[in-house]
Amino acid sequence: MNKQNRRDFLKSVTTVGITAAGLSAAAPTKLNAAPENVLSEDRMGVLVDTTVCIGCRKCEWACKESHGMHAGDIEDYDEKGIFNSRRRPDHTGHTVVNEYENDKNRSLPIYLKVQCMHCDRPACVSACIVGAFSKKESGAVIWDDSKCIGCRYCMVACPFQIPAFDYHKALEPDIHKCDFCFDRTKNGKLPACVEICPVETLTYGKRSDLIQVARNKIKNYPDRYLDHIFGETEVGGTSWLYLASKEFEKLDFPKLGKNPAPGVSESIQHGIFAYFIPPIALYALLGGIMWISKNRDKSEGEAH
Amino acid sequence: MKRLLIISIFVLTASALWSQSDHSKIKLDCSFCHSCEKPTKINPCLKACPREEMITVYHTPSQGPEYLIINQFEKFEDLYEPVNFSHRAHSEMAEMSGGCELCHHYNPPGSIAKCVDCHDVNRLRADLSKPDLKGAYHRQCIDCHRTWNNNVACADCHELKSSGKTAAKIKPLSASRIHPEIIEPAKIVYETETSEGKFVTFYHNEHTQLFGLECSNCHKNESCASCHKVDDMKSIKLTVEEKHQACINCHKVENNCSYCHSNKTLEPFDHGTRTGFQLKSYHQKLSCVNCHAKPKAFSGLNSKCASCHGSWSVDNFNHKATGLILDEIHAEFDCDVCHSLDNYSKPGCDACHEDMTYPKFKPGRILRN
Repeated sequence: MNKQNRRDFLKSVTTVGITAAGLSAAAPTKLNAAPENVLSEDRMGVLVDTTVCIGCRKCEWACKESHGMHAGDIEDYDEKGIFNSRRRPDHTGHTVVNEYENDKNRSLPIYLKVQCMHCDRPACVSACIVGAFSKKESGAVIWDDSKCIGCRYCMVACPFQIPAFDYHKALEPDIHKCDFCFDRTKNGKLPACVEICPVETLTYGKRSDLIQVARNKIKNYPDRYLDHIFGETEVGGTSWLYLASKEFEKLDFPKLGKNPAPGVSESIQHGIFAYFIPPIALYALLGGIMWISKNRDKSEGEAH
Repeated sequence: MKRLLIISIFVLTASALWSQSDHSKIKLDCSFCHSCEKPTKINPCLKACPREEMITVYHTPSQGPEYLIINQFEKFEDLYEPVNFSHRAHSEMAEMSGGCELCHHYNPPGSIAKCVDCHDVNRLRADLSKPDLKGAYHRQCIDCHRTWNNNVACADCHELKSSGKTAAKIKPLSASRIHPEIIEPAKIVYETETSEGKFVTFYHNEHTQLFGLECSNCHKNESCASCHKVDDMKSIKLTVEEKHQACINCHKVENNCSYCHSNKTLEPFDHGTRTGFQLKSYHQKLSCVNCHAKPKAFSGLNSKCASCHGSWSVDNFNHKATGLILDEIHAEFDCDVCHSLDNYSKPGCDACHEDMTYPKFKPGRILRN
């Protein structure tokens, strides 16, 4: 794919800028970068039942395999030593499984798969200055690497710190993250990780159905699960939902409110320039200082 | 046309009756299994499998299949070879921990249900309330296996197709048990965290031999790890309630801690010291359940002989059994003429004979002392 050059970028920025200015002049409060128009009622999701996961890491292998990344030998993934350190998704793998201590039974650790949560109100979509990111009707948050200019704003904006960057590549580095197997699901297939999971830790289905499944599990097995579906309401809801037996903060989940992440960043960004008051105020302040110092110079001059 | 109609009605009625035949012996409310009022063969509206209740089919491990080949996924693109599953070995192990229903957690009336009857082969499916077939199989195996062997390597059960290897053939099993004989501990002394009554002495041999308990009376939900991975099991922190549960299932001690807890290890059970009723001669030879009719709940019995032996009379009791054949005169008397106290211990003679004492003078011929 061709990268856009500087000229194209400037063009698109100008277009975006002019459109944005026009829009904000017309209806400044309605602008919202999270695309509500594609938040389908039937959007798909995955319920991750962390009490079922056995830490076999086959999802890591399948993910790499289906994305044309170097996956290696499937039998190598049985190696347990890798759990000695906590890993994050990066340019070599879009999902990783980490191990946590199980307070209830030390011989059966808790395993936790980490990948993009595919937010319903994605901060990365909001932050992307070239519109490379988008939330699809299927629930997936994907990005167009032909538009990406490598600014890495998405990495800063993401409340889960998911997008990763090819720091090792000098030329045409890419942003990397889980794409919810957009190309596979488009063709009626399951996401690669869901398909391979031996114990069905990962249940793929309509997000609304999954919430019902999760609620029933909590109701039927109150000793097994905490009464919390992570992702149901966090940052406005996510496509990937988690059930756990241990507090989510202890599993390295960030403590997040119910408000969508773009709501925070957008209100700051937009607030600064609302009705052009802050720039006018700044100029007025500077003008005032100039005027005062000019008068002072004058009076000092008269004193001599 | 009319004939055709009659035949079809007959066929329909017969098939409806046939479909009901399995149900005739079931003493369950229809709503236990069916969610709608009028289930039909086409739409039985069966409820999601209840995990707690096994409805029919109980048999011994030897009546089940010896081994099974799990090859349900062969027709799909599968990375792995089928699994050779030693059913009998596993069903014997399950006897110590939950029985058949440990795996066959739901079985509608009739024959033994296959996993695939409830669990969908397709992972992309409408009903997400149950795991799909692949998930169900793996959970049944791995959930137990990982408790005693944290290794969840796939090749433990099935080989990679690309590796060219096939799963090991199952060795033919002998008719005898597969699990080697379990060596029972005689006595276990638990050191508790309490300052008062630090030790709990548990005589395992008494419970199995003397009190006549079966292994499965106490070892109900045993995991293989409780014997095979003792160190790991020690790290599992049980609540105070869980620790006491095994004992208080039978011993209703209420708040009497000293029943089990003591500052020193306790002596083996002795009927005389524990209950005040010393077992002698005949009673010593009996097993607990001969007198304490309710097994597992050996609550106190009345120590009066008549409470058990109330039906004894001159007519039905052969006094020879005591080692003394009564002479003709004494054999006529009712029991309580000589045994005036409420026990059948050796009586005095002074109620009738002022100058005679037992055993110097005997009311008959002695066989043994």
